[in-house]
Amino acid sequence: MSAPVLEIADLDIFAPGIEGPRQLVFGSSLTVQRGQAVGLVGESGSGKTLTVRAVAGLLPEGFTTNGQIRIDGADLGTMAPRALRELRAHRLGMIFQTPRAHLNPLRSIGDFMIEALVHVAGAKPDAARAHAIELLAEVGISDPGRRMRQFPAELSGGLLQRVMIAATLAMDPDILLADEITTALDVTTQEEVMAVIADLRTHRELSLLFITHDLALAGSVCDRVNVMQHGRIVETLNAATMRQDATDEYTKLLMSAALDEAPPIAANDVESGPIMVIDDLFKTYQVRGATGAKEKLIAVDGVSMQLAPGGSLGIVGESGSGKSTTARVLLGLEHADSGTITVDGQDWSAPACRGSERRERAKIAQMVFQDPYQSLDRRQTIRQCLTEAIRVHRPKDAKTTVAARVSELMGQVRLDEALLDTRPRALSGGQRQRVAIARALAADPVLLVLDEAVSALDVTTQVEILTLLDTIRRDTGVALLMITHDLTVIRRLCDHVVVMRQGVIEERGTAADILDHPQAEYTKLLLDSIPREGWTPRRRRLGRTQALPTVTRSSIIPR
Amino acid sequence: MSVVQITNGKAPAVAKRAAQRDWLFIAALIVFGVIALAALLGPWIAPYDPYALSGEVNGAASPDHLFGTDDLGRDILSRVLVGAQASVFAPIAVVILSTVLGVAFALIGAWFGGWVSGTIARIIDVIFAIPGLVVAVLAVAMFGKGLVAPIVALSIAYIPVVARLSQTAASRELGKPYVAALRVQGVSSWAILLRHLLPAMVPIVAAQMAIGFGYSMLDLAAISFLGLGQQPPAPDWGSMISTGQAGITAGAPEQSVFPAILVVITVLAVGIIGARVTVWAEEKDA
Repeated sequence: MSAPVLEIADLDIFAPGIEGPRQLVFGSSLTVQRGQAVGLVGESGSGKTLTVRAVAGLLPEGFTTNGQIRIDGADLGTMAPRALRELRAHRLGMIFQTPRAHLNPLRSIGDFMIEALVHVAGAKPDAARAHAIELLAEVGISDPGRRMRQFPAELSGGLLQRVMIAATLAMDPDILLADEITTALDVTTQEEVMAVIADLRTHRELSLLFITHDLALAGSVCDRVNVMQHGRIVETLNAATMRQDATDEYTKLLMSAALDEAPPIAANDVESGPIMVIDDLFKTYQVRGATGAKEKLIAVDGVSMQLAPGGSLGIVGESGSGKSTTARVLLGLEHADSGTITVDGQDWSAPACRGSERRERAKIAQMVFQDPYQSLDRRQTIRQCLTEAIRVHRPKDAKTTVAARVSELMGQVRLDEALLDTRPRALSGGQRQRVAIARALAADPVLLVLDEAVSALDVTTQVEILTLLDTIRRDTGVALLMITHDLTVIRRLCDHVVVMRQGVIEERGTAADILDHPQAEYTKLLLDSIPREGWTPRRRRLGRTQALPTVTRSSIIPR
Repeated sequence: MSVVQITNGKAPAVAKRAAQRDWLFIAALIVFGVIALAALLGPWIAPYDPYALSGEVNGAASPDHLFGTDDLGRDILSRVLVGAQASVFAPIAVVILSTVLGVAFALIGAWFGGWVSGTIARIIDVIFAIPGLVVAVLAVAMFGKGLVAPIVALSIAYIPVVARLSQTAASRELGKPYVAALRVQGVSSWAILLRHLLPAMVPIVAAQMAIGFGYSMLDLAAISFLGLGQQPPAPDWGSMISTGQAGITAGAPEQSVFPAILVVITVLAVGIIGARVTVWAEEKDA
C-alpha cells in the first residue's frame, strides 16, 4: 500500500503568549489514506481548525508547531519554502466556512475561477475558461456559462460553496480539507453540498479531511471519525459502527446531543385564551432586483398564528422563510404592511411610538437574539447590563433591591455571580447567551421570543441552554416563541410548531405530529435532510440558486 | 516541523511594540503638558516684555536672549511664550467646536436616517466644497481681523470630515443587534444614544480630534501668516513665522525657526496622544 495522502503525527500547536507559548493542540495524530474520508469532530476551541490550518500552512502569525505533517510521504517540516508552496498548491484543496468572505465581491465568478488556472497552473485564458466551465458543471452548477458572468452577491450561499469547491478542483488536488463548509448553510443546502462532495470522491478518488462540529454529519459522510476535545483527539472511530464502539464520555455526550431520541414535548391543554395572536400578517421590502429595478420582496405573506399562555411555539424554516421578520414585526422592530398582532389583549399591530408605550410592551414581551457575541454591548459589564434592564422598569428602586434582583436573575440562568463584573468578551458563547436570557427575564415578561437563540452555540451548550429555557418556562410560566431552522431544537423545547417557507406557512400542528407524522412535502424534506445514522446525502432538487435580497438597514429606529 | 520559528524566551514582538508606544505616549504627554503650561503662564514667565525692544535687531541666540531677538529687537522667547496662548488654545477651540457640531450632525443623521440623513449629507457636501482657508478669509472680511473669526470659520470648515466619519461609525453601531436588544428592553432613546452609542464612537472621534488639532494649528498659523489672524504687535506663532521670513535669507532665521519648530512639536505630540487614546478605546471595545 502506498503512503497515506495525509499523515499527521504527534502534532502540537502553540499560540504566542506574553508568558511564553500556550499549547492549544496536544499530540494529535491522524491518517488519511488515498480515497478515504476522515472526519475531525469537535466543538469550538477544540483545536480542530488549528490542526487543519497547520496542514494548509495557514496558522496565524506567531503560532508554532511540533511534530510531523506528511503529504504523500513528504515531510512538510524538511521542505524548502518554495517546494512547500508548490506541494500545497497542487496536492491540497481547502474549502472554508464562509465562501462569501473569500470571494472578491467586485470580481465575477469567471474572473475568480480563471485567475487561479492562469496564474498558478499557467493555462491559456481560453483553455482556462473552458476548463472552469467544466469544473462548475462537475459540482452540479446549472448553466455554468451564465454563472461565470455573475457576481458573488447574485449567488446563494450553497452555490458559492460549490464555486469554491470547483475552484479547489482546478489544481486537481489529492485531498480536500473542508473546514465547517456546511455550517452556515440551510439543512437542505447542506445535503446538496455534501452530495456534490460524495460524487466528486467517487469520480476523482479524492481524499477528504472533513472538519465539523456535527458528529452525525461526519459519521454519515466519512469512513473514520476523530473526536477532538480541548486540543486532544480523544477517540478515533469507524464511522459505520461509531454508535456501538464509542467508549469516551465526551463522544457519547456529543452523540446524545446530536441524536436526540427524546420524545417531543406534549402539548399542554390550556383553557384560557391565547397570549399572542398574529392574524394575516404581511411584510414586504423594497429591494433592487438583478436588473437594478426596484422589486418587492414579500418576506411575510399572510401569516397567522397564536400562542397559549405558558406554551411554547416553534417557527421553523430556512433562511428567507420570513420567520425572523415575523418576530421582529411582533416586537416592533419592523413595521408590518398589514395584519393585526394582539399580545396580552393589547393591539400591537404597529410599533410603539412613544417611549412609555415601548416600556409597557417591554414588560410583556422580551427577545433573545441569535448571536450572543453581538447582542450584548461589549463595553458593559454583566452587572451594568442587567442593572440597566431592571432600571428601565423600576427607575426608583433602591440600589440594594436592584442588586438583589440581579443576583436572582443570575441564579435563574445558573450563572456564577463572580462573572458579574466581567465584560462579555471574557465569557463563552453559552455564558453570554445565559446573560442575554437573564436580561430578557429582568422585566418578568409573559412572552419570550427566541430568535435562533441557540444556533450559534456548540451542540452540548445548545442542550444546556434548551434545558434551561424549558425549566424557566415551567417555573415562571413564560410563553416561548422559538424561531429556528433546526427541527431538533423544536423537539426539545416546543409543544406546537409552525413550518414556514418563503413567507408562507406550509404546515402547523403539535410538535409530536409535525416531527413524527409530517404531512407537507416540505416538512418531510426538512426532516429527511437532517444527518443521522444510515443517512446519505442525496441530490433531491435544485436548491435555491439566487442570493436572498439582503435588507441591510433595519428600521429599528423610528422615522 | 516548525511552521514559524519559535520565539523561545523572547517577548513577542507585539508586546514590545506596545511597550515602546507607551513610552512614546508618555513623552508626548509631557511635551504637550509643558507647552500647555507655558501657554497658560506665558505672560508671567516671559523673561522680557514681548513688546519692548530689549536687544539688538535680529540678534542671534545668546544667554541673554535664548531664542535671539527679532527684526525690531524684541525677545523671541518672550514673544513665543506670550503667543502660545493664541497658537495652542485657538486650535483646541476649533477642535472642540467642530467635534461637538460634527458629532451632533452625525448622530441626528444616523438615528433618523431617510430624508433627514440625506438632507444633512447635502448640507455637509456644500460645506465640504468650500476650502476652509477661503471660509476663514471670508469670515475675517466679514467680522474683522482677530482670532474669533478664524476659529468660527475653521470650526465650520472641519465639520464635514468629523460628521462623515462619525456618521459611518454611528450607523454601523446602530445596526448591531445589541441596539435592537436595547430597544426591545424598552431602554429610552436618550439612554441608547448617550450610554451606548457615544462611548462606542470614542475611538474614531478621538483619532479625528488629534488629526483636526494638527490641521487647525497649521491652518491658523497659515491665516496668521497671511496677516488675517492675531494682529500685530500681539504675537502668535504663525505671524512670527511670517514676519521672520525676510530674516531667513538674511542669515537671522531664529524669528521663524523657533515658532515653526514649536508648531511641529505640538502637532506631533497631539497626534501621538490621539493615536494612543484611540488604541485604548479600541482595546476596551474588543
